[in-house]
Amino acid sequence: MQQGEGSEAQVTWEDQQNINKFGRLNNRFHELEDEIKVAKETNENFEDASNELILSDEDVVRFQIGEVFAHVPREDVECRLEKMKEDASKALERLEEEKKSVLAQMAVLKKILYGKFKDSINLEED
Amino acid sequence: MAAASTSTADSTVVTERRGIPGASFVEDVETYLKQCGLDVNSSLAFLQERLQQYKIVEMKLLAQQRDLQTKIPDIEKCLDVVSTLEAKKGTGEALITDFEVSEGIYSRARIEDSDSVCLWLGANVMLEYSLEEAKALLEKNLENAKASLEVLVADLQFLRDQVTITQVTVARVYNWDVHQRRIKQAAKEI
Repeated sequence: MQQGEGSEAQVTWEDQQNINKFGRLNNRFHELEDEIKVAKETNENFEDASNELILSDEDVVRFQIGEVFAHVPREDVECRLEKMKEDASKALERLEEEKKSVLAQMAVLKKILYGKFKDSINLEED
Repeated sequence: MAAASTSTADSTVVTERRGIPGASFVEDVETYLKQCGLDVNSSLAFLQERLQQYKIVEMKLLAQQRDLQTKIPDIEKCLDVVSTLEAKKGTGEALITDFEVSEGIYSRARIEDSDSVCLWLGANVMLEYSLEEAKALLEKNLENAKASLEVLVADLQFLRDQVTITQVTVARVYNWDVHQRRIKQAAKEI
């Protein structure tokens, strides 16, 4: 928080709550960025796995379950992979939605807080 | 970590949460300083010390969060294996898997139809369970871990709010002091 030169605007409990909320949203935003990065990688991995599966012509595929690689028939692997891909893609979508919502809420709070405190407050990333 | 000046001039909602002291919101700086009976520098020192304490607690909670976040996928993997064994049961087929014996070295195992699995409970203890019991135990552990994580996340949010409140209070006390000095300076020059 920037220390102004003795500004006049008094901080009310409502202002404090807005500042707190902004802080929480900002933290969540950074967490989401990390989670989205991981989710994108996961999605890419599933795509690669899918492609590898199509290229290979084995009937039995070594599919990782837990820490071991089980010998699973090809069709089962295809099914499983499809489902995993779908789940991963939905998860990524959910994260992107949440990120959008968080950014929107942060923009609203910025407007309110800058409106009241102008230069006495700094809400940007340093 | 005793909560000191939670006096009547402030209007906090929660005064502490699971050992984390709540930061009291200051309605008016002057009243706050009078009630504490502290001068500006002592007050700032007290608030800075509070911030340090919060930092320590935050480190601890983050470590716990990291632990849970590795534990949960592990439990899910175990559940996966147990579900696979359950699905194989009754088909009469054996499950053939490749497993790691040592880094980079794998061996093949043939797992016949079985009604039980052994679960590693930690502390060099492994216990045999029926497939249903194993599944129930793992599901319960997963639920507990997820619930603990939720509580932890809420604790962290509460903590961060208190840190923000304290930082804002520091800024306001400092600004008030600057303001007072300026007034005094102006009074002298008249």
